[in-house]
Amino acid sequence: MAEPSSADFVVIGSGIIGALTARKLVLAGASVLILEAGPRVTRGELTARFRNSPRRGDWMSPYPPVPWAPHPIYLPKDNGYLVQAGPYPYAAEYIRQVGGTTWHWAAHAWRNVPNDFRIKTLYGVGVDWPIDYDDLEPWYQEAEEIMGVSGAPDTGSPRKKPFPMEPVAEPYAMRRIRERCASAYPVVTNTTARNSRTYDGRPACCGNNSCQPICPIDAQYHGGVAIASAEKAGAKLLTNANVYKLEHDAQGRITAAQYYDSDKRSHRVTGKTFIVAANGIESPRLLLLSASDKYPRGLANSSDMVGRNLMDHPSTSLTFDADEDMWLGRGPQSPSSINTLRDGAFRSEHAPYRLDFTNISRVNGAITALIAGGVYGPEIEKRLRYACARELNVKNVLEVLPDPEHRITLADEKDAMGIPKPQAHYAIDDYTRKGAERSKEDFRRIASLLGGTNLRFSKEGDYANNQHICGTLSFGSDPHKFVCDPWGRTHDHENLFCVGTGVLPTCGTCNSTENGLAIALRTASHILDQAGTRPAGTPAPSPGAGK
Amino acid sequence: MHRRGREAIVAVDSLTGRPGRTDATRRRLLGSFVGAYVASLVPFAIAQPADDDSAAFSALSGILVGRSSLDTALGKRLRDALAADDPGFAKSTHDLLALIEQRRLDPLTLQSVLDGEKSPLATLPGRIVTAWYMGIVGDPEHARCLAFETALCNVVVADILEPPTYCHGAYASWTRKPT
Repeated sequence: MAEPSSADFVVIGSGIIGALTARKLVLAGASVLILEAGPRVTRGELTARFRNSPRRGDWMSPYPPVPWAPHPIYLPKDNGYLVQAGPYPYAAEYIRQVGGTTWHWAAHAWRNVPNDFRIKTLYGVGVDWPIDYDDLEPWYQEAEEIMGVSGAPDTGSPRKKPFPMEPVAEPYAMRRIRERCASAYPVVTNTTARNSRTYDGRPACCGNNSCQPICPIDAQYHGGVAIASAEKAGAKLLTNANVYKLEHDAQGRITAAQYYDSDKRSHRVTGKTFIVAANGIESPRLLLLSASDKYPRGLANSSDMVGRNLMDHPSTSLTFDADEDMWLGRGPQSPSSINTLRDGAFRSEHAPYRLDFTNISRVNGAITALIAGGVYGPEIEKRLRYACARELNVKNVLEVLPDPEHRITLADEKDAMGIPKPQAHYAIDDYTRKGAERSKEDFRRIASLLGGTNLRFSKEGDYANNQHICGTLSFGSDPHKFVCDPWGRTHDHENLFCVGTGVLPTCGTCNSTENGLAIALRTASHILDQAGTRPAGTPAPSPGAGK
Repeated sequence: MHRRGREAIVAVDSLTGRPGRTDATRRRLLGSFVGAYVASLVPFAIAQPADDDSAAFSALSGILVGRSSLDTALGKRLRDALAADDPGFAKSTHDLLALIEQRRLDPLTLQSVLDGEKSPLATLPGRIVTAWYMGIVGDPEHARCLAFETALCNVVVADILEPPTYCHGAYASWTRKPT
């Protein structure tokens, strides 16, 4: 059967946000063609790859890139795909395969807190969003009902409707942390897309403790589930279709997408509307790659803002030994956190943050450290069990402010397909560093509350990255400052939209997927509304404050 | 809740299910050891097939991982993989075993002794312990996984923890205090 070559909507990227955008459009009766650079891989294959991996602490090891759609890999050595321009390395990880990067996540599905939308007005830093919390609330709810989200009721994000299910059962270790920190910090169950009951044909969590890199039973929602639902609804998916250029006509309307297949044969698909959903690095890269005589700086880039304002969530952490047995590794990996430091007047001075407690089994890290330390003989088992029982870790999730100098550009180097690689220009600014410094006081206090000894702070100046790529396609009303308008349409091209976490103009303190997805669902609804095809019973998007 | 792994530690040949044969070489090697940890090696050594190299690997493994019984079939696979990466592996194994015997070296201080003397055997204990405890053989760029559920790191905590990707139990079973 011939592959489809035209559709009402062409969506580039089959990750959770592209897939659910496509699903919403196809359910309204439109024809939708999704182009995915990478291959299909099944949950069973990924689980087997992890079990057979010689690098169990490297959660990208089950996701090796294919030559025709590379993504960054750093172990056992850097594959050089994401070129680093400095001054601080931006070790982004993402996955180019059907379903995208949320195959590999902790399923955190947080909403912003309301003040995250107005940090310029309230605190004089960053930028305000073009919409506010109330504008996005119905789309948060829609995203949560699709993904099966649950969480604590008191994390600073008000709700008009309840979560679709009860919070996931609290692991014993998290209960002890909550009880012992209660005098100083409220420790709550995280807001996650993880089933506490059978939901939408997927089972409740059974505590496999491998949410990253792969939930073996689909108890947590991910892009593989999303794309399956889009295909079931009628969206067509082309795999191994690496889009390297968008074409436009004299009026600036996008007319076609050109892609390479795995043998580097070029193909072309046409459509009425194009939606770029290839993540916060690959989406701006594609817009920059699509430069033409009419648009020499790339598409959607009259503002010169495509790829700029790159943000993520850096983390520092404290590892210590509690004074009682906890045994991390029973239940889901990332169940509990402290949310009271996500907002406050201090945001004019330093970054806010969440404080996250890990519940990842300590076995792999502890045995690696013991062997590296030359601990052999009967002592190795004894010390391994001690570490697994007592070791705890708390990390911050720090806000980063938008800075146009932090950006994704095209590198001079080319990938295996002859396409310029993405290049990252990144730094950790004082706002974020001050937040990290402030959080050390919390780390020490938490350790004290848990009788902590053997305190091991992460290395001074080292920031772990959380792979929440934001800002590179920011939305806002001013076409001179933002790539997309408040609906997610590019200011420069009437039939070109962007969805994904790149659209977020600030990153707040919560994992970016739910924000990106809620905005995308709002964008899709707006598109349908404009076309007069909004499905019955769905809310009309509010226009936002028009900031 | 199902459990795996613990049954893998048996002092029998896991292919035949029968106790292995003894021979003079193993008796000689084992008989020469002094120290409390040596006595605990006997059950594993008795299970080993009869050749000098495998006996030396078995004895050295028992000392380094501090266990009296190890899976013989897995041990053969690990030894073959370690030897495939290092043509001198068998000789190094004999040499390290002899060194431990001659100098009554404690496994807990062995690595610092070897490092301090810049011994050519300095990388050997880590490779063997990594093989048994993590199921992994090879340098980072050529590493391969030979065991997961039966890697000792998972086996020695199997009374409390499942290996990642394995079900802990029924929903909410993780709320109970681990005992």
